[in-house]
Amino acid sequence: MQASRARLFKEYKEVQREKAADPDIQLVCDDSNIFKWTALVKGPSETPYEGGVFQLAFTVPEHYPLQPPQVRFLTKIFHPNVHFKTGEICLDILKNAWSPAWTLQSVCRAIIALMGHPEPDSPLNCDSGNLLRSGDIRGYQSMARMYTRLAAMPKKQ
Amino acid sequence: MAEEERLIGSSSDSNPCPDPCPICLSPTTQESYLDQCFHKFCYHCIVKWINIVARVQSCTSSTLTCPLCKRENLSIICGYDGISYQRHYVGKSLENSEFFSEAHRYRLKCYYTDSGDIAEKLQVSLYWKFRKYLRQNHFLADWLRREIQAVMQVEDTDIIMHHVLGVIDSLRRDWSKKTSISGEKAREEFRVAVSDTARPFLTGRTERFVDELEVFVASGLNMDAFDQVYIKHLGWKESEKKETNQPTTPAVPYLYIFDEDED
Repeated sequence: MQASRARLFKEYKEVQREKAADPDIQLVCDDSNIFKWTALVKGPSETPYEGGVFQLAFTVPEHYPLQPPQVRFLTKIFHPNVHFKTGEICLDILKNAWSPAWTLQSVCRAIIALMGHPEPDSPLNCDSGNLLRSGDIRGYQSMARMYTRLAAMPKKQ
Repeated sequence: MAEEERLIGSSSDSNPCPDPCPICLSPTTQESYLDQCFHKFCYHCIVKWINIVARVQSCTSSTLTCPLCKRENLSIICGYDGISYQRHYVGKSLENSEFFSEAHRYRLKCYYTDSGDIAEKLQVSLYWKFRKYLRQNHFLADWLRREIQAVMQVEDTDIIMHHVLGVIDSLRRDWSKKTSISGEKAREEFRVAVSDTARPFLTGRTERFVDELEVFVASGLNMDAFDQVYIKHLGWKESEKKETNQPTTPAVPYLYIFDEDED
């Protein structure tokens, strides 16, 4: 517990210092609980998520960094590796390929990379996966773009 | 968070630690390196990670994937003090491994202990003076194997053992041809040749290894007898430290192999 707390302080300091370094990621620690973080990540360009801002919720376990953080999308997203209802993410580094050298910041980067490179063969969102697997890239992209516009962009007044 | 802000504010403000352990992100304590990729971690951090990995995998693996570069590694190298280091193999602690016996442990411990006047006690100088070195020592192979295993903490050391043995044998053949060579000269040749042979493998422990080897061959004892003498010798030194006022009797070798008037 103490070790995870100490390590999260280090990450917190690093985030404060490097705020400008990665404009695509804004990582914020909960005011009252260092084990709860949220992140805002920008949808990568040249993907159907471009222009959207997606919110992620981190729950850091007691044995972090020996165990991976739990991350899910709070913003609705149409992506084969993200559960459409719960926002759960299927990403190997958050499961068996976790390494303690990852940080919350680098996990955000991995999630951005996943947005640009969906893996339709291990789908959590079967509709999205099936569109890609059947070769209907256009269908997948327009669905994903629609949900980006609906859920991840500021409402036009 | 108030407490956290305070902690963050109080500890070194804006300069980050230049070369932190990738696991705790703090300055590395008890620097340890993986043997293939040489990435550095705190000893306790990387050991904790190994234990986690071992718990997740149902069968114990003998390799560790580096958390930084994913290279497979066999051991952790730690405690490097400029000349020597320790190695911990993944998936087997030295305590449980089959080859590393109690005797290996005692031999390795000797390298961290001042052996005192063991050379004097076993009359090493007489060995050279009376040219005992011309006789073959049949206990040497077994002793060498165990010694090298203990020092290197590796099981398969037979190649090195045969290498050292071969060097000693060829020295002996040379000496038996050159009858004029003095004991002193032979001793010097022996020490130089064995040092040169063993150094690539034993690095910082080479000098001490040559000392121990010399004591063993000179003693003429077999392994068991040598161990008994040695342990008694060290035990005697310890009890001397504890009870200084109590007179101690020096350890006497069990076998007297020096027939001083043989020559």
